[in-house]
Amino acid sequence: MADVFVDAKGLACPMPIVKAKKALDSLQPGQTMEVHTTEKGSMNDFPAWIKRSNHELIEAKEENGVFKFIIKKG
Amino acid sequence: MENVRSITAEELHRKMEAGNVFILDVRNEEEYNDWKIEGKKTQSVNIPYFAFLDEMDEEDEILSNLPKDKEIAVVCAKGGASDYVAQMLNEKGYTSSSLKDGMLAWSQYYHPVTVYADEKLKIIQINRLAKGCLSYAVISAGKGMIIDPSKDTDVYIELAQKHQFTIEHVVDSHLHADHITGGPRLAEQVGAPYYLSSEEAKGTNLKFEPLEQYGRIKVGDIDVEVLSIPTPGHTPGSTSFLIDNRFLLSGDTIFVGGLGRPDLGGKAKEWAEDLYHTVFYKLKDLPDDCLVLPGHYSDIREMNDSGVVAERLGKIRENNEIMRNEDKASFTEQVASAVSMEKPPNFEEIVAINRGELKVDANRAIELEIGPNRCAVHHHGIHG
Repeated sequence: MADVFVDAKGLACPMPIVKAKKALDSLQPGQTMEVHTTEKGSMNDFPAWIKRSNHELIEAKEENGVFKFIIKKG
Repeated sequence: MENVRSITAEELHRKMEAGNVFILDVRNEEEYNDWKIEGKKTQSVNIPYFAFLDEMDEEDEILSNLPKDKEIAVVCAKGGASDYVAQMLNEKGYTSSSLKDGMLAWSQYYHPVTVYADEKLKIIQINRLAKGCLSYAVISAGKGMIIDPSKDTDVYIELAQKHQFTIEHVVDSHLHADHITGGPRLAEQVGAPYYLSSEEAKGTNLKFEPLEQYGRIKVGDIDVEVLSIPTPGHTPGSTSFLIDNRFLLSGDTIFVGGLGRPDLGGKAKEWAEDLYHTVFYKLKDLPDDCLVLPGHYSDIREMNDSGVVAERLGKIRENNEIMRNEDKASFTEQVASAVSMEKPPNFEEIVAINRGELKVDANRAIELEIGPNRCAVHHHGIHG
Protein backbone atom coordinates (compact mmCIF):
# COMPACT_ATOMS: atom_id res chain seq x y z
CA MET A 1 0.00 0.00 0.00
CA ALA A 2 1.25 3.42 -0.90
CA ASP A 3 1.28 6.14 1.77
CA VAL A 4 -0.87 8.41 -0.36
CA PHE A 5 -3.18 7.77 -3.28
CA VAL A 6 -3.84 10.42 -5.93
CA ASP A 7 -6.79 9.95 -8.21
CA ALA A 8 -6.12 12.12 -11.26
CA LYS A 9 -8.43 10.24 -13.60
CA GLY A 10 -10.32 12.48 -15.99
CA LEU A 11 -7.86 15.35 -15.53
CA ALA A 12 -6.06 16.77 -18.55
CA CYS A 13 -2.41 17.74 -18.74
CA PRO A 14 -0.84 19.39 -16.73
CA MET A 15 -3.16 18.68 -13.78
CA PRO A 16 -2.16 15.04 -13.08
CA ILE A 17 1.43 16.06 -12.42
CA VAL A 18 0.44 19.26 -10.61
CA LYS A 19 -1.76 17.21 -8.27
CA ALA A 20 0.85 14.50 -7.84
CA LYS A 21 3.53 17.07 -7.06
CA LYS A 22 1.38 18.60 -4.28
CA ALA A 23 0.74 15.18 -2.75
CA LEU A 24 4.41 14.27 -2.95
CA ASP A 25 5.38 17.50 -1.17
CA SER A 26 3.37 16.40 1.85
CA LEU A 27 5.26 13.11 2.20
CA GLN A 28 8.45 12.23 4.09
CA PRO A 29 11.45 10.88 2.16
CA GLY A 30 11.07 7.12 1.66
CA GLN A 31 7.27 7.24 1.64
CA THR A 32 5.39 6.27 -1.51
CA MET A 33 2.59 7.68 -3.62
CA GLU A 34 0.30 5.92 -6.09
CA VAL A 35 -1.20 7.99 -8.91
CA HIS A 36 -3.88 7.00 -11.40
CA THR A 37 -4.47 9.05 -14.54
CA THR A 38 -6.29 8.74 -17.84
CA GLU A 39 -4.25 11.44 -19.60
CA LYS A 40 -2.42 9.75 -22.50
CA GLY A 41 0.61 12.00 -22.13
CA SER A 42 1.22 10.66 -18.60
CA MET A 43 3.11 7.59 -19.77
CA ASN A 44 5.80 9.89 -21.16
CA ASP A 45 5.52 12.76 -18.74
CA PHE A 46 5.63 10.98 -15.37
CA PRO A 47 8.90 9.14 -16.04
CA ALA A 48 10.42 12.33 -17.53
CA TRP A 49 9.34 14.35 -14.50
CA ILE A 50 10.69 11.85 -11.99
CA LYS A 51 13.95 11.59 -13.91
CA ARG A 52 14.56 15.28 -13.30
CA SER A 53 13.88 14.93 -9.58
CA ASN A 54 15.49 12.99 -6.75
CA HIS A 55 12.40 10.79 -6.42
CA GLU A 56 12.16 7.26 -7.72
CA LEU A 57 9.65 5.71 -10.10
CA ILE A 58 8.92 2.28 -8.66
CA GLU A 59 6.25 1.23 -11.13
CA ALA A 60 4.53 2.49 -14.27
CA LYS A 61 1.82 0.50 -16.00
CA GLU A 62 -1.37 0.75 -17.98
CA GLU A 63 -4.50 -1.16 -17.05
CA ASN A 64 -7.73 -0.75 -19.02
CA GLY A 65 -6.91 2.78 -20.12
CA VAL A 66 -5.76 3.87 -16.64
CA PHE A 67 -2.12 4.79 -16.17
CA LYS A 68 -0.80 3.78 -12.75
CA PHE A 69 2.39 5.03 -11.17
CA ILE A 70 4.06 4.34 -7.86
CA ILE A 71 6.61 6.93 -6.84
CA LYS A 72 8.93 6.91 -3.86
CA LYS A 73 9.86 10.27 -2.42
CA GLY A 74 13.59 10.95 -2.43
CA MET B 1 -7.02 30.58 -17.34
CA GLU B 2 -8.02 34.17 -17.02
CA ASN B 3 -4.80 36.10 -17.32
CA VAL B 4 -3.25 34.10 -20.11
CA ARG B 5 -3.53 35.32 -23.65
CA SER B 6 -3.99 32.45 -26.04
CA ILE B 7 -2.82 32.79 -29.62
CA THR B 8 -3.84 30.81 -32.67
CA ALA B 9 -1.40 28.97 -34.90
CA GLU B 10 -1.91 31.64 -37.55
CA GLU B 11 -1.11 34.49 -35.14
CA LEU B 12 1.94 32.63 -33.92
CA HIS B 13 3.16 32.16 -37.47
CA ARG B 14 2.68 35.85 -38.24
CA LYS B 15 4.72 36.80 -35.20
CA MET B 16 7.38 34.26 -36.19
CA GLU B 17 7.66 35.79 -39.65
CA ALA B 18 7.98 39.25 -38.12
CA GLY B 19 10.71 37.88 -35.89
CA ASN B 20 9.19 39.12 -32.66
CA VAL B 21 8.37 35.99 -30.75
CA PHE B 22 10.35 33.48 -28.74
CA ILE B 23 9.06 29.91 -28.42
CA LEU B 24 9.12 28.04 -25.15
CA ASP B 25 8.13 24.44 -25.79
CA VAL B 26 7.10 22.75 -22.53
CA ARG B 27 6.58 19.22 -23.84
CA ASN B 28 9.09 16.63 -22.75
CA GLU B 29 12.49 16.48 -24.35
CA GLU B 30 11.83 13.45 -26.50
CA GLU B 31 8.75 14.98 -28.09
CA TYR B 32 10.55 18.25 -28.72
CA ASN B 33 13.54 16.59 -30.37
CA ASP B 34 11.24 14.53 -32.55
CA TRP B 35 9.04 17.35 -33.79
CA LYS B 36 8.92 21.05 -33.07
CA ILE B 37 7.94 24.45 -34.40
CA GLU B 38 10.71 26.02 -36.41
CA GLY B 39 11.09 29.34 -38.14
CA LYS B 40 13.99 31.11 -39.79
CA LYS B 41 13.69 34.06 -37.47
CA THR B 42 12.48 32.20 -34.41
CA GLN B 43 14.47 30.92 -31.51
CA SER B 44 12.99 28.15 -29.42
CA VAL B 45 13.92 26.47 -26.20
CA ASN B 46 12.61 23.30 -24.58
CA ILE B 47 11.87 23.25 -20.85
CA PRO B 48 9.30 20.61 -19.85
CA TYR B 49 6.32 21.98 -17.93
CA PHE B 50 7.06 19.91 -14.85
CA ALA B 51 10.29 21.85 -14.41
CA PHE B 52 8.14 24.88 -13.60
CA LEU B 53 6.37 23.22 -10.67
CA ASP B 54 9.07 24.02 -8.16
CA GLU B 55 9.28 27.43 -6.60
CA MET B 56 11.60 29.63 -8.63
CA ASP B 57 13.27 32.89 -7.89
CA GLU B 58 14.56 35.56 -10.23
CA GLU B 59 18.01 34.03 -10.46
CA ASP B 60 16.74 30.58 -11.28
CA GLU B 61 18.68 28.93 -14.06
CA ILE B 62 15.54 27.94 -15.93
CA LEU B 63 14.19 31.47 -16.04
CA SER B 64 17.53 32.90 -17.10
CA ASN B 65 17.05 31.23 -20.49
CA LEU B 66 13.95 33.25 -21.22
CA PRO B 67 13.90 36.75 -22.71
CA LYS B 68 12.21 39.60 -20.86
CA ASP B 69 12.13 41.91 -23.86
CA LYS B 70 10.24 39.61 -26.24
CA GLU B 71 6.89 37.87 -26.25
CA ILE B 72 7.25 34.25 -25.21
CA ALA B 73 4.83 31.88 -26.94
CA VAL B 74 4.45 28.82 -24.76
CA VAL B 75 3.71 25.61 -26.66
CA CYS B 76 2.71 22.13 -25.52
CA ALA B 77 0.88 19.14 -26.99
CA LYS B 78 -2.71 20.26 -26.50
CA GLY B 79 -2.66 23.68 -24.83
CA GLY B 80 -3.17 22.76 -21.16
CA ALA B 81 0.39 22.79 -19.87
CA SER B 82 1.22 25.88 -21.93
CA ASP B 83 -1.65 27.82 -20.29
CA TYR B 84 -0.28 26.80 -16.92
CA VAL B 85 3.31 27.82 -17.66
CA ALA B 86 2.34 31.05 -19.44
CA GLN B 87 0.30 32.13 -16.45
CA MET B 88 3.22 31.45 -14.16
CA LEU B 89 5.60 33.41 -16.38
CA ASN B 90 3.23 36.36 -16.58
CA GLU B 91 3.11 36.45 -12.79
CA LYS B 92 6.90 36.66 -12.82
CA GLY B 93 6.89 39.66 -15.11
CA TYR B 94 7.35 38.00 -18.51
CA THR B 95 5.10 38.70 -21.48
CA SER B 96 3.86 35.33 -22.54
CA SER B 97 1.03 33.76 -24.45
CA SER B 98 -0.10 30.19 -24.93
CA LEU B 99 -0.62 28.46 -28.26
CA LYS B 100 -4.29 27.47 -28.33
CA ASP B 101 -4.67 23.68 -28.68
CA GLY B 102 -0.88 23.31 -28.88
CA MET B 103 0.87 21.18 -31.48
CA LEU B 104 -2.52 19.70 -32.33
CA ALA B 105 -3.50 23.07 -33.82
CA TRP B 106 -0.06 23.69 -35.29
CA SER B 107 -0.24 20.40 -37.20
CA GLN B 108 -3.39 21.63 -38.94
CA TYR B 109 -2.18 25.08 -39.87
CA TYR B 110 -1.68 25.87 -43.56
CA HIS B 111 0.14 28.84 -45.01
CA PRO B 112 -0.39 29.68 -48.70
CA VAL B 113 2.39 31.52 -50.54
CA THR B 114 2.26 32.68 -54.15
CA VAL B 115 5.24 31.19 -55.96
CA TYR B 116 4.64 32.81 -59.31
CA ALA B 117 2.04 35.01 -60.96
CA ASP B 118 1.64 36.56 -64.40
CA GLU B 119 -1.52 37.35 -66.36
CA LYS B 120 -1.85 33.75 -67.55
CA LEU B 121 -0.60 31.65 -64.70
CA LYS B 122 -0.52 31.68 -60.95
CA ILE B 123 1.08 29.01 -58.77
CA ILE B 124 0.35 28.93 -55.05
CA GLN B 125 2.25 26.72 -52.64
CA ILE B 126 0.21 25.72 -49.61
CA ASN B 127 2.63 24.97 -46.83
CA ARG B 128 1.57 22.81 -43.93
CA LEU B 129 4.42 24.01 -41.76
CA ALA B 130 4.14 21.45 -38.97
CA LYS B 131 4.47 18.49 -41.30
CA GLY B 132 6.57 19.97 -44.06
CA CYS B 133 3.82 18.95 -46.49
CA LEU B 134 3.33 21.05 -49.58
CA SER B 135 0.31 21.13 -51.82
CA TYR B 136 -0.25 23.36 -54.83
CA ALA B 137 -2.84 25.33 -56.71
CA VAL B 138 -2.07 25.91 -60.39
CA ILE B 139 -4.45 28.61 -61.61
CA SER B 140 -5.24 29.95 -65.04
CA ALA B 141 -8.18 31.94 -66.35
CA GLY B 142 -10.38 31.30 -63.38
CA LYS B 143 -9.76 27.55 -63.37
CA GLY B 144 -7.47 25.63 -61.12
CA MET B 145 -5.78 22.32 -60.46
CA ILE B 146 -5.02 21.22 -56.91
CA ILE B 147 -2.05 18.93 -56.44
CA ASP B 148 -1.59 16.76 -53.34
CA PRO B 149 -4.37 18.26 -51.21
CA SER B 150 -4.39 17.38 -47.51
CA LYS B 151 -7.37 15.98 -45.68
CA ASP B 152 -8.40 19.49 -44.56
CA THR B 153 -10.09 20.22 -47.88
CA ASP B 154 -11.71 23.49 -46.72
CA VAL B 155 -8.27 25.04 -47.08
CA TYR B 156 -8.49 24.63 -50.88
CA ILE B 157 -12.12 25.58 -51.16
CA GLU B 158 -11.40 28.81 -49.29
CA LEU B 159 -8.31 29.42 -51.40
CA ALA B 160 -10.37 29.01 -54.56
CA GLN B 161 -12.88 31.57 -53.29
CA LYS B 162 -10.18 34.01 -52.33
CA HIS B 163 -8.32 33.75 -55.62
CA GLN B 164 -11.50 33.44 -57.65
CA PHE B 165 -11.04 30.18 -59.44
CA THR B 166 -13.02 26.97 -59.72
CA ILE B 167 -11.26 23.71 -59.03
CA GLU B 168 -11.34 21.68 -62.26
CA HIS B 169 -8.80 18.97 -61.47
CA VAL B 170 -7.61 17.29 -58.29
CA VAL B 171 -4.42 15.24 -58.47
CA ASP B 172 -2.27 13.14 -56.17
CA SER B 173 1.34 12.82 -57.29
CA HIS B 174 1.49 9.47 -55.52
CA LEU B 175 -0.08 7.47 -52.73
CA HIS B 176 1.12 9.27 -49.62
CA ALA B 177 2.55 7.53 -46.58
CA ASP B 178 3.01 10.52 -44.31
CA HIS B 179 -0.34 12.28 -44.44
CA ILE B 180 -3.94 11.52 -45.26
CA THR B 181 -4.91 12.64 -48.74
CA GLY B 182 -7.81 14.99 -49.30
CA GLY B 183 -7.85 14.19 -53.02
CA PRO B 184 -10.97 12.02 -53.38
CA ARG B 185 -12.92 14.13 -50.88
CA LEU B 186 -12.02 17.47 -52.43
CA ALA B 187 -12.82 16.16 -55.91
CA GLU B 188 -16.23 15.05 -54.71
CA GLN B 189 -16.89 18.34 -52.89
CA VAL B 190 -16.18 20.47 -55.94
CA GLY B 191 -17.35 18.01 -58.61
CA ALA B 192 -13.94 17.65 -60.27
CA PRO B 193 -12.16 14.51 -61.45
CA TYR B 194 -9.56 12.97 -59.16
CA TYR B 195 -6.41 11.67 -60.83
CA LEU B 196 -3.91 9.13 -59.58
CA SER B 197 -1.48 6.81 -61.31
CA SER B 198 -2.95 3.29 -61.70
CA GLU B 199 0.31 1.84 -60.33
CA GLU B 200 -0.45 3.54 -57.04
CA ALA B 201 -4.00 2.27 -56.84
CA LYS B 202 -3.30 -1.39 -57.60
CA GLY B 203 -5.57 -3.67 -55.59
CA THR B 204 -7.74 -0.87 -54.26
CA ASN B 205 -11.29 0.18 -55.01
CA LEU B 206 -10.39 3.85 -55.33
CA LYS B 207 -12.28 5.81 -57.96
CA PHE B 208 -9.87 7.82 -60.04
CA GLU B 209 -8.85 8.93 -63.49
CA PRO B 210 -5.70 7.02 -64.43
CA LEU B 211 -3.03 9.69 -64.55
CA GLU B 212 -0.81 7.75 -66.95
CA GLN B 213 -3.48 8.14 -69.63
CA TYR B 214 -3.24 11.91 -69.54
CA GLY B 215 -0.09 13.23 -71.13
CA ARG B 216 -1.42 16.71 -70.69
CA ILE B 217 -4.13 18.19 -68.55
CA LYS B 218 -5.46 21.57 -69.53
CA VAL B 219 -5.99 24.10 -66.78
CA GLY B 220 -8.27 26.98 -67.70
CA ASP B 221 -8.81 28.02 -71.28
CA ILE B 222 -5.44 29.42 -72.15
CA ASP B 223 -2.14 27.93 -73.02
CA VAL B 224 -1.05 26.58 -69.69
CA GLU B 225 -0.66 22.87 -69.75
CA VAL B 226 0.43 20.46 -67.15
CA LEU B 227 2.47 17.62 -68.45
CA SER B 228 2.59 14.56 -66.32
CA ILE B 229 5.78 12.55 -66.40
CA PRO B 230 5.80 9.25 -64.55
CA THR B 231 8.77 9.52 -62.22
CA PRO B 232 8.89 6.29 -60.26
CA GLY B 233 11.40 5.98 -57.45
CA HIS B 234 9.75 7.13 -54.27
CA THR B 235 6.81 4.87 -55.11
CA PRO B 236 6.26 2.99 -58.43
CA GLY B 237 3.59 5.35 -59.74
CA SER B 238 5.01 8.69 -58.57
CA THR B 239 4.20 11.43 -61.05
CA SER B 240 5.72 14.87 -61.55
CA PHE B 241 4.05 17.78 -63.28
CA LEU B 242 5.82 20.10 -65.62
CA ILE B 243 4.45 23.49 -66.49
CA ASP B 244 5.83 25.34 -69.47
CA ASN B 245 9.25 23.71 -69.00
CA ARG B 246 9.70 26.23 -66.19
CA PHE B 247 8.13 24.63 -63.14
CA LEU B 248 8.52 21.01 -62.07
CA LEU B 249 6.06 19.98 -59.39
CA SER B 250 8.08 17.00 -58.32
CA GLY B 251 5.94 15.27 -55.68
CA ASP B 252 8.25 13.25 -53.47
CA THR B 253 10.73 12.41 -56.20
CA ILE B 254 13.08 15.36 -55.95
CA PHE B 255 13.34 17.65 -52.98
CA VAL B 256 15.19 20.90 -52.52
CA GLY B 257 17.61 18.99 -50.33
CA GLY B 258 17.82 15.71 -52.21
CA LEU B 259 15.87 12.70 -53.42
CA GLY B 260 12.81 10.93 -52.09
CA ARG B 261 13.32 7.76 -50.12
CA PRO B 262 12.43 4.62 -52.05
CA ASP B 263 12.05 2.23 -49.15
CA LEU B 264 8.57 2.79 -47.79
CA GLY B 265 7.11 0.06 -49.94
CA GLY B 266 9.71 -2.43 -48.74
CA LYS B 267 11.45 -2.65 -52.11
CA ALA B 268 14.30 -0.22 -51.62
CA LYS B 269 16.67 -1.74 -54.16
CA GLU B 270 14.18 -2.13 -56.97
CA TRP B 271 12.72 1.33 -56.50
CA ALA B 272 16.16 2.88 -56.17
CA GLU B 273 16.79 1.62 -59.72
CA ASP B 274 13.58 3.32 -60.84
CA LEU B 275 14.77 6.48 -59.18
CA TYR B 276 18.02 6.25 -61.11
CA HIS B 277 16.11 5.97 -64.34
CA THR B 278 13.96 8.94 -63.41
CA VAL B 279 16.89 11.17 -62.56
CA PHE B 280 19.16 10.26 -65.47
CA TYR B 281 16.66 9.65 -68.26
CA LYS B 282 13.31 11.26 -67.65
CA LEU B 283 14.42 14.46 -66.00
CA LYS B 284 17.82 14.73 -67.64
CA ASP B 285 16.84 17.16 -70.35
CA LEU B 286 15.04 19.60 -68.10
CA PRO B 287 16.84 22.94 -68.01
CA ASP B 288 18.86 23.96 -64.98
CA ASP B 289 16.68 27.02 -64.45
CA CYS B 290 13.52 24.91 -64.12
CA LEU B 291 12.08 25.59 -60.67
CA VAL B 292 11.51 22.45 -58.61
CA LEU B 293 8.45 22.64 -56.37
CA PRO B 294 8.49 19.54 -54.17
CA GLY B 295 5.77 17.79 -52.19
CA HIS B 296 7.72 17.98 -48.95
CA TYR B 297 10.57 19.49 -47.08
CA SER B 298 12.12 18.37 -43.86
CA ASP B 299 14.48 21.17 -43.02
CA ILE B 300 13.67 24.82 -42.60
CA ARG B 301 16.77 25.62 -44.68
CA GLU B 302 14.94 24.29 -47.74
CA MET B 303 12.70 27.34 -47.56
CA ASN B 304 13.93 30.46 -49.34
CA ASP B 305 13.76 34.00 -47.98
CA SER B 306 10.33 34.61 -49.47
CA GLY B 307 8.99 31.62 -47.54
CA VAL B 308 8.74 29.40 -50.62
CA VAL B 309 10.14 25.89 -50.66
CA ALA B 310 11.63 25.76 -54.15
CA GLU B 311 14.97 25.55 -55.89
CA ARG B 312 16.33 25.68 -59.43
CA LEU B 313 17.00 22.21 -60.78
CA GLY B 314 20.56 23.22 -61.62
CA LYS B 315 21.21 24.19 -58.03
CA ILE B 316 19.80 20.89 -56.76
CA ARG B 317 22.02 19.02 -59.21
CA GLU B 318 24.96 21.06 -58.01
CA ASN B 319 24.27 20.55 -54.30
CA ASN B 320 23.53 16.86 -54.41
CA GLU B 321 26.38 14.66 -55.45
CA ILE B 322 23.89 11.82 -55.86
CA MET B 323 22.16 13.70 -58.70
CA ARG B 324 25.41 13.57 -60.64
CA ASN B 325 26.30 10.00 -59.85
CA GLU B 326 25.66 8.40 -63.22
CA ASP B 327 27.06 5.05 -62.20
CA LYS B 328 23.91 3.03 -61.75
CA ALA B 329 25.27 0.42 -59.34
CA SER B 330 26.78 2.95 -57.00
CA PHE B 331 23.72 5.24 -57.24
CA THR B 332 21.39 2.39 -56.28
CA GLU B 333 23.70 1.26 -53.53
CA GLN B 334 23.95 4.76 -52.09
CA VAL B 335 20.20 5.40 -52.15
CA ALA B 336 19.23 2.00 -50.80
CA SER B 337 21.79 2.10 -48.01
CA ALA B 338 20.83 5.58 -46.88
CA VAL B 339 17.31 4.57 -46.00
CA SER B 340 16.49 4.85 -42.40
CA MET B 341 14.74 2.72 -39.87
CA GLU B 342 12.71 5.79 -38.99
CA LYS B 343 9.44 5.68 -40.83
CA PRO B 344 6.82 8.41 -40.93
CA PRO B 345 4.64 8.03 -37.83
CA ASN B 346 1.70 5.66 -38.36
CA PHE B 347 2.55 5.25 -42.02
CA GLU B 348 0.95 1.83 -42.39
CA GLU B 349 -2.41 3.09 -41.18
CA ILE B 350 -2.13 6.25 -43.28
CA VAL B 351 -1.41 4.22 -46.40
CA ALA B 352 -4.43 2.00 -45.67
CA ILE B 353 -6.64 5.10 -45.37
CA ASN B 354 -5.27 6.53 -48.60
CA ARG B 355 -5.93 3.21 -50.33
CA GLY B 356 -9.52 3.47 -49.18
CA GLU B 357 -9.19 0.32 -47.06
CA LEU B 358 -9.51 1.93 -43.67
CA LYS B 359 -11.94 4.57 -42.46
CA VAL B 360 -11.25 6.61 -39.35
CA ASP B 361 -13.10 9.47 -37.67
CA ALA B 362 -11.81 13.05 -37.71
CA ASN B 363 -10.15 12.83 -34.29
CA ARG B 364 -8.27 9.67 -35.13
CA ALA B 365 -7.19 11.22 -38.44
CA ILE B 366 -5.73 14.20 -36.57
CA GLU B 367 -3.99 11.91 -34.11
CA LEU B 368 -2.46 9.78 -36.88
CA GLU B 369 -0.98 12.77 -38.61
CA ILE B 370 0.65 14.22 -35.50
CA GLY B 371 4.41 14.16 -35.72
CA PRO B 372 7.22 14.80 -38.14
CA ASN B 373 7.55 13.95 -41.79
CA ARG B 374 10.22 11.47 -42.74
CA CYS B 375 9.81 11.02 -46.46
CA ALA B 376 13.16 12.35 -47.63
CA VAL B 377 16.43 10.46 -47.55
CA HIS B 378 18.76 13.38 -47.20
CA HIS B 379 18.58 13.38 -43.39
CA HIS B 380 20.74 10.37 -43.50
CA GLY B 381 23.70 11.19 -45.57
CA ILE B 382 22.58 11.65 -49.16
CA HIS B 383 22.52 15.42 -48.88
CA GLY B 384 25.92 16.45 -49.89
